[in-house]
Amino acid sequence: MLEQYGYVGILLIIAVGFTITIPLLPKLLQLIGLIPHKKNPTKSGQYECGMQTIGKNWVQFNFRYYFFAVLFVLLDMLTIFLYTWAVNIKELGIGGLVAVGVFLVILTIGYLYAWRKGALQWK
Amino acid sequence: MLSVGLDQFLVLSAVLFCIGLFGVLTQRNVIKIIMCVEIMLNAVNITLIAFSRYVTPVILTGQLFAIFVMVVAAAEVAVGIAIIFAAYRNRESVDIENFNILKW
Amino acid sequence: MMDQIRYIAPEISLLCFALIVIVLDLFIKPKKVLPVIAVAGSFVALLAVLMLWGVPVTDVFNKMLAVDQFGLFFKALILVSLVLVILASNRYVLKFEKFQGEFYALLMLSAIGLMLLVSAINLITIYVALELSSISLYVLVSFLKDKQSSEAGLKYLILGAVASAILLYGMALIFGTTGNTCLTCIADYVKGMPAASLAGSPVLLIGLVLLISGFGFKIASVPFQMWVPDVYEGAPTPITAYLSVASKAAGFAVIARILLTAFGMPAWLHNDWAMIIAVLAVLTMTVGNIVALVQTNIKRLFGYSSIAQAGYLMVGLAAMGMAAQADSTIRSGLIFFLFSYTLTNLGAFIAIIAISNKINSDNIDDYSGMAKRSPLLATGLTICLVSLTGLPPTAGLIAKIYIFSGAVDQGLLWLVIIAVINSCISAFYYFKVVKVMWMGEPVNNDEVTSTWPEWLALGFCCLAVVVIGIIPGAFMAITQNAAKIFGI
Repeated sequence: MLEQYGYVGILLIIAVGFTITIPLLPKLLQLIGLIPHKKNPTKSGQYECGMQTIGKNWVQFNFRYYFFAVLFVLLDMLTIFLYTWAVNIKELGIGGLVAVGVFLVILTIGYLYAWRKGALQWK
Repeated sequence: MLSVGLDQFLVLSAVLFCIGLFGVLTQRNVIKIIMCVEIMLNAVNITLIAFSRYVTPVILTGQLFAIFVMVVAAAEVAVGIAIIFAAYRNRESVDIENFNILKW
Repeated sequence: MMDQIRYIAPEISLLCFALIVIVLDLFIKPKKVLPVIAVAGSFVALLAVLMLWGVPVTDVFNKMLAVDQFGLFFKALILVSLVLVILASNRYVLKFEKFQGEFYALLMLSAIGLMLLVSAINLITIYVALELSSISLYVLVSFLKDKQSSEAGLKYLILGAVASAILLYGMALIFGTTGNTCLTCIADYVKGMPAASLAGSPVLLIGLVLLISGFGFKIASVPFQMWVPDVYEGAPTPITAYLSVASKAAGFAVIARILLTAFGMPAWLHNDWAMIIAVLAVLTMTVGNIVALVQTNIKRLFGYSSIAQAGYLMVGLAAMGMAAQADSTIRSGLIFFLFSYTLTNLGAFIAIIAISNKINSDNIDDYSGMAKRSPLLATGLTICLVSLTGLPPTAGLIAKIYIFSGAVDQGLLWLVIIAVINSCISAFYYFKVVKVMWMGEPVNNDEVTSTWPEWLALGFCCLAVVVIGIIPGAFMAITQNAAKIFGI
């Protein structure tokens, strides 16, 4: 049992060593002159390619995304139950089919509600 | 090789549960509190599935329970965020310290 | 499986009516019809409950739900309080006219959750039913969407979610030790364990403690009562009424069922948890009564009063635990108290709803001279307050005698003495309201009017309170019948 923890110890040492050396490596190579050192704004930017970033990174999202997120969660839950039903479809038989049918009807009423209340529109 | 048994899972879930509970008690942002509750629920899921695997390997009651917990947790978050919205619109803040009209 | 559907006919019919309310609300303009459908649905469900009353005790869906008099009694109680709350909110819903459909539908959905909760005999169904009712109630508490209501909803949500997570962890630990989630299977396992290994099984005992804590939130026992006053004050008043009766009754029903069915067997085990409940009962009623003395808001006052009443109810629960082997007379004390408490508290809240519709305030000072402005409402509220105090000729007195004498029989005399002292303290704040209403000078002479559904609901409650107080025998027989299933 104890020597099994030895593996964890070795893994730990490697992990810590790796995370310390990698960020220091460029500096080291710079010191011995293997790579050139020229500053320029593009290079020191957050991304070296693509668009310039605009604005702050603490942007408030439009809350309308929330409705879509909730509707998506609804579908997510649907999947959980449909999946468990689908893998046992033969054993559950007609009773399972009816149960899932009722479940789907209730979910559809949920979507009907969302649709009538205008949650599916971006306005 | 390393062997991971029931104990390890139980310790993991107990630690996660305590992290969640600690977060609920110390965090001031309501969204973070809801996230910590989610951590607690997921810790319970780990317990349930570990017990299901090691105590009753043939019967899947524990896994079934975990599925229901996931579904209920999702519903709880959906409703929770809606209530946070309502509260946020009223006072432009999600800091728990600002919810102080009702006391004693 | 299909042939067992008829056993959950009450829930199914109520669900169908709730869905009808939702769909109709989407497609029709006049909203007047919605409460009619909601009440009709409740009556159909009530009829289904009454039709099931005679059936032999059985369990359905692989030991997920039980069909027994205990569950059916509470289902009927929940449905009655649902009808009364719908009737009483007749004018209150105008505050959120656009969302009436959701209001009624969510009320019905939470009633379905509570009905499943009182008949659930499996940890999975207990959890799902509990959450079905709680999540609907989270929304209902923040229904007004103003500052107070949304704050109350948020507090209820956070504390409720934490409580349910704790409860769930307890359930997971119990499941892990016993390998089962159905209550009777857990009972078999616990009975089979040698006493030494049961006492030395920390996981099971921690699970039990976490379970009691989780339900302690639902029934508002100290130290899990922090949410009660805030939520009661901020929530729409009909929802406060519903929370204080239906949700509490179902909470007590399910905690009694779990403790007595699953952990009722080795004598020391049920004596142990009964002692825990007894100590919590002392704290609960003392804290509730003492803090209630200084309240100035009537909804908050009733919040603390309901904490105190939960304390008396826990005396009954402790007696039930001590009396696990005795006959059903003692065990029915809790059920009878819940029955009388539900009607009494609901009656008081209906009067409060009717009054606050007019005066738009929940301050006790604004109730001054209410007897002159609306004698009937003031009389109704007074009857209910007298009953809550536990004075003749009302149901409250009989219920208190019943529950306390049961506890004395089980050797909990010290607990009953504390409870009686607490009842005396409670008279101060209940009679403060009565005094303000009858002796105080009216703020103005506007008559406080109310509509016929409110009269109907209030009249029903007051009549029931007095009738139970005068001829309690018939109702005791029903509750004893309901308590029979816990016989050993």
